Amino acid sequence: MNRYLANVNGWTIGAILIIILLFIPNVSIVTGIFSSASENWAHIKEYMLVNYIKSSLTLVFFTAMFTVVIGLSLAWLIAQYDFPLRSFMKWALILPLSIPPFIGAYTYHGIVNYTGVIQKTLRNQFEIVPNPSFFDIMNVPGAIFIYTLFLYPYVYMITRIFLSHQSASLIESARTLGKGPWEIFLKVVIPISRVSIIGGVSLVVLEVLNDYGVVKYFGIQTFSTAIFQTWFGLGDLDSSIKLAASLMGIVIFILIIERILRGGKQYSYSTTKVRPLPLVKLKGKSAVFATMYTLVIFSIAFLVPVIQLMDWVILTFGKVPMGEVLVYTRNSVTVAALSATLIIVFSLIVGNFSRIVHHKFAKLLPKLTILGYSIPGAVIAVAVVTTFIALDRFLAPVYEFIGIDSGLVLSVSLFMLISAYIIRFFAIGYNSIESGFDKIGTDFRDASRMLGVSRLRTFFKIDVPMMKGAIISGFVLVFVDILKEIPLTLILRPFNYDTLATKAFQYASDEKIMEASQASLLIVGVSAIAIIIFHKLLREEPK
Amino acid sequence: MKRSMIFLVVAMMLVLSACSSANNTNTKNEAAKTGSEVKTGEVNLYTSRHYDVDNELYKKFEEETGIKVNVIKGEADELIERIKREGTATKADILLTADVGRLFRAKEDGLLQEVSSDILSKQVPSNYRDTDDMWVGLTKRARVLVYNKDKVKPEDLSTYEALTEDQWKGRVLVRSSESVYNQSLLASFIEINGEEKAKEWAQGIVNNFARNPEGGDRDQAKAIAAGIGDIAIMNTYYFGQMLNSQEPEEVKVAENLGVFFPNQETTGAHVNISGAGVVKGSKNAENALKLLEFLTAEEAQAKFASANYEYPVNNNVEPSELLKSWGEFKEQDIPLSTLGENNAKAIMIFNEVGWK
Amino acid sequence: MFIDIQDLSFTYSNSLTKAVNCISFTIEKGEVISILGRSGSGKSTILRLIAGLEMPDEGSFTLNGKKIMDDRTFIQPEKRGIGMVFQDYALFPHMNVEENILFGLSKMSRKDKKRRVNEVLELVELEGFEKRYPHQLSGGQQQRVALARAIAPEPELILLDEPFSNLDADLQVKIREDLRRILKKANTTAVFVTHNINDAHALADRILKIKDGKIDKIGRPCDLLGSTSELPNTGEVIFEELLPV
Repeated sequence: MNRYLANVNGWTIGAILIIILLFIPNVSIVTGIFSSASENWAHIKEYMLVNYIKSSLTLVFFTAMFTVVIGLSLAWLIAQYDFPLRSFMKWALILPLSIPPFIGAYTYHGIVNYTGVIQKTLRNQFEIVPNPSFFDIMNVPGAIFIYTLFLYPYVYMITRIFLSHQSASLIESARTLGKGPWEIFLKVVIPISRVSIIGGVSLVVLEVLNDYGVVKYFGIQTFSTAIFQTWFGLGDLDSSIKLAASLMGIVIFILIIERILRGGKQYSYSTTKVRPLPLVKLKGKSAVFATMYTLVIFSIAFLVPVIQLMDWVILTFGKVPMGEVLVYTRNSVTVAALSATLIIVFSLIVGNFSRIVHHKFAKLLPKLTILGYSIPGAVIAVAVVTTFIALDRFLAPVYEFIGIDSGLVLSVSLFMLISAYIIRFFAIGYNSIESGFDKIGTDFRDASRMLGVSRLRTFFKIDVPMMKGAIISGFVLVFVDILKEIPLTLILRPFNYDTLATKAFQYASDEKIMEASQASLLIVGVSAIAIIIFHKLLREEPK
Repeated sequence: MKRSMIFLVVAMMLVLSACSSANNTNTKNEAAKTGSEVKTGEVNLYTSRHYDVDNELYKKFEEETGIKVNVIKGEADELIERIKREGTATKADILLTADVGRLFRAKEDGLLQEVSSDILSKQVPSNYRDTDDMWVGLTKRARVLVYNKDKVKPEDLSTYEALTEDQWKGRVLVRSSESVYNQSLLASFIEINGEEKAKEWAQGIVNNFARNPEGGDRDQAKAIAAGIGDIAIMNTYYFGQMLNSQEPEEVKVAENLGVFFPNQETTGAHVNISGAGVVKGSKNAENALKLLEFLTAEEAQAKFASANYEYPVNNNVEPSELLKSWGEFKEQDIPLSTLGENNAKAIMIFNEVGWK
Repeated sequence: MFIDIQDLSFTYSNSLTKAVNCISFTIEKGEVISILGRSGSGKSTILRLIAGLEMPDEGSFTLNGKKIMDDRTFIQPEKRGIGMVFQDYALFPHMNVEENILFGLSKMSRKDKKRRVNEVLELVELEGFEKRYPHQLSGGQQQRVALARAIAPEPELILLDEPFSNLDADLQVKIREDLRRILKKANTTAVFVTHNINDAHALADRILKIKDGKIDKIGRPCDLLGSTSELPNTGEVIFEELLPV
């Protein structure tokens, strides 16, 4: 009796199929590592790589550091203390995630530049002409500032959920041992949240590594600049794929480090023992401080840019064609919701497979899908186009048979774009689902099966409802990410298909940030609604 | 409450997915229909221009001819790569880019086909058309010098090359070398003055930088106003946009600046074009030609000129009032395709001299 | 023979040594068997193998004349008709007590289901708790709900994994009594795993002592564990409990 073969069933087959599909396009990139170097390679190596990697690492390091400091401190405040505005801040602090970093960069530059509201007011109302370099954010520290503001919610969100649900007994026992709040924070909170901090910060790192919008506008040269400079400038796509493949290598390296840091620990809890962390009410100065701190972060990361965007919308009202705004919004919401749903369904299938099959590969393989998240979208786009055109060629006889008079069917449909989203964002959804599976463990499933209930029914009646939180948060994360996605949407969409993000980009890329404000604000609005619904759904869970 | 919420979300998702699949079948039906109805009317456009005025013109074209214009917008190189991979099956009929270098690259890759007609030749002067008729220019923009009227006298200005002189140390503003406009500027110098001289020029500009390059063209103008530098290299139409901005402060900034067309006594000011070519294997080549003729005809050209502060390529059309106020100017006299040929070399020079 | 297990062996995929090494035993109908051993001795693994939650390297298992597994057959756990109470009870947190119990009842009319729920709740003395959620129950109550849930489908065999480990010491004694009463009243065949000699002594008709994945000893509690003096914390209670056996 072969124990591994005995696990072959619908789940396994489904999961393996999904993983293969996610991998195929990436294969063409991975093989790029081994392609022979072009005549440009020496130039790239001498003039681009070293410096660009240096600035990439600087950005990654400091952004990671600041997002951890801000995300963790906010998570700790919200999870442990009660203070004025807490229940609002609890979800409001996630909202900055709805602002695409490149829009954030344009907006902040718009605020602080010479004709921006700050310098303008100082100059015209107070006749103060400040040193303009003081307000210069188009540099490495400025980019770190932008990334930190709009990416810290990844760390905040994941860590807060962990702290409120899983840390009660540890923190309380520390308190009974006579430890003060700072000591508890340093000696208990930080070590026990390590896994969730690393989970959040690795998303931040990947976002920073493959971002192109912010660094391009700020004129900072990073690894992704090198990739695009090589492709667009030197016209050498092969070398640029080679670069992207090395980026993949770096990411795999980071992943391995993450695994080592996690030390293979798996936390799973049984519900009977889990209770929420009771809140400590803050009074006086400390309450004021807590409220102020969260308010300041919320303001600069969300309120200020949104107000500026609103101001621009009013300023350009009537100057920007508005007739089709509803169509763009609908397109954005539809394609994001559909893709996010598919990603969650696929993640559930793969996650369940990885849980059932006790084999190293079953755990490792799905992890590798994060590669799709680690390389710049435009490079994935090339891989996806190639794959789909091959698919269309393969299906040509079928098209002919059913009477379609065209060689390209799939590759000019929305299907290609959605597939690309799935390849790119699968890891985000999967992360969430996997941690959900980790959390519920296998006892409930076993218990259900011992009650004579089939695997499939167990899955729908036990696993899915128990993972509601993970499913919803995974869905919202993916949804918001897709809503603001740019390169894939731009290049892989069908004819005449515009979304909010492509509209915003269209103006912003031509330095018309004011005209871009309308679409940008709608992206923020739709994402904010998704986040609010997510918050409502989670809050109403029986506790 | 909880149940109803979940129900709501699920219902929403179902509706949405139904919508989108309906969308899908719609587009497929359309594709099938047009296939069988013997190409009465569509033309598929891959474009890297993102202007609202373009959309207006396409709509106008649809109204006049009944030919539907389908559009995919993206970055030029991504679009070229997509056409390349789609091969002979491509749906694209026209490739439209905001930089002639990209058209050159598409031509080199064998993605374009010859397109010519008497109307086109009449509407577009030959220097804005490809020598092999693979592409045709639609609009042009000049890369000029913009200066602080208070600190710089126009008499002090002469050529791009003069900006490398010592008197401009710490005063020159320009955006990063990632901008295709800078790349084609340097590419033109490689063509006119040779690689070595071009590199000297780039090095000289780097030495005179007022600050490390950052931001877009508009930001260079603002930096002059802020007193960071005194002179900037930027495109004409960005300057036009600033003068007509919704933000009064931007207008104020632009009003304090002067426009100078350099190299008028020597090699001429640098000009780049937006242009388009018909894709090889196009299934609607006739419609594509019609669209190109339409876009270079007087009506459309006037629209380009007034809405976007670009110079028309059609000699019968006057530039906008603003552009006219800057006067006529002498252009570089080199085949535009050389901008594409020298593009990669230009980037290497930028990297070598440390022009960020 | 009601239950017949032969040559059961099992190795975890990340280990080289056998967690369960060639174990054979039989059980009579209505008998309560205790598997006693230190943690890591492989006792819980035996339980999971009987349940079908793990797949053995080799071995055979028949239940009431029905072949459950051998070289060629492997009946999935949900088809075995075996009930199980988990160490931490695994009560579904999103279902109330009634829903938890109903979950295992199928192919029954609605009325029968309702009747069965009442029956088992009465058996575990938790009438009136139908609408409570697991987190609103005490540890002892949760344990009894888990038991009721496992008994409700009338399994031919019920497995209990460390049923007392999560309970307070004084509660343990009480629950132990209840458990034995309930099992005997329902005439259920049961196998339970424990590391506590007292539990084994008090509950079991027979004890299987496991060491390093092998059967160390097997026999009646009094034979196997000798006099009660060997037991820690002995007292009259335990002695009295032993009397009826």
